[in-house]
Amino acid sequence: MDVQVGDNIPDWVMESVSAARMRTMAAILRDPNPVHWDRKAVAALKRLNLGERTINQGPLGLSYMINMLHDWTGPGSIRRIYMTFPLVVLDEDRIVAQGKITGLREENGEKLADCDIWLQRGDDQPLVGKATVVLPS
Amino acid sequence: MPGKPPPPEEEIKAIIGHEFPGGTYTIEHWENFLLTECTGAEPLPGKMVHPVALFHMPILGANTTIGEMFAVGKADSDHSIGIESYDWEMYQPLEEDTLYTVTAKVTDADRRSREDGRLYDRIQFQFDLADPNGDPAARTTITWHYNRSGSWTSR
Repeated sequence: MDVQVGDNIPDWVMESVSAARMRTMAAILRDPNPVHWDRKAVAALKRLNLGERTINQGPLGLSYMINMLHDWTGPGSIRRIYMTFPLVVLDEDRIVAQGKITGLREENGEKLADCDIWLQRGDDQPLVGKATVVLPS
Repeated sequence: MPGKPPPPEEEIKAIIGHEFPGGTYTIEHWENFLLTECTGAEPLPGKMVHPVALFHMPILGANTTIGEMFAVGKADSDHSIGIESYDWEMYQPLEEDTLYTVTAKVTDADRRSREDGRLYDRIQFQFDLADPNGDPAARTTITWHYNRSGSWTSR
């Protein structure tokens, strides 16, 4: 793969974050927090002013960036992913996973790309992080 | 309405080194299929597990729960926890029907304050996964904020 520092990673788009998928995820994670599966529980937290929309689990938002990286360099290519969560993602949000190469290096015979990665929602970036992937030869 | 009084700072520092029981975890096909579907991706090739499993698999494999992790840090409530970061190091792709051994401990805990003076405790958990040969498979580090005065975000 021929890439340069500064290159963009191809976008990965989640057209509409799904409340149903959050409910399945909550069951798999054994996560009892109702903000992930009960819209009225979110609405009751009036200081947040989020309305009746459930809050996406942090790992699900992170997974959109994993999917972007897999589509770019292939499944099994991720060596490290680091993520921060400045804002929540809500059901029905349109989210675009994006990234940019910040460094290229070799380690143990593998060509690695260090990247900045983030989720874009309009002008907001609800998740921001970094990743290291192995580039296919 | 005022929140609960924060636990003494020395009680928070004392949880550094706390070890969870540890144990094993195997992801079966059905679980990987549903998990991958939740991410919006197609199933990965062969028996490869979607890396998003690196959130719940270490927690459950260490024989703990999200609720117990809240309790270890003396959380005010489920709603009082905020995420600082997740750091996932992947040494090999995870596979379905493979028994992974998990160990876990609290590696850091300290009290901090925000600009507005509100207190929170920053607590870091580290989980190590090994494959059936004992080779490292992954390390995950969860850093959560235990807010002591009402502010919070979702996990």
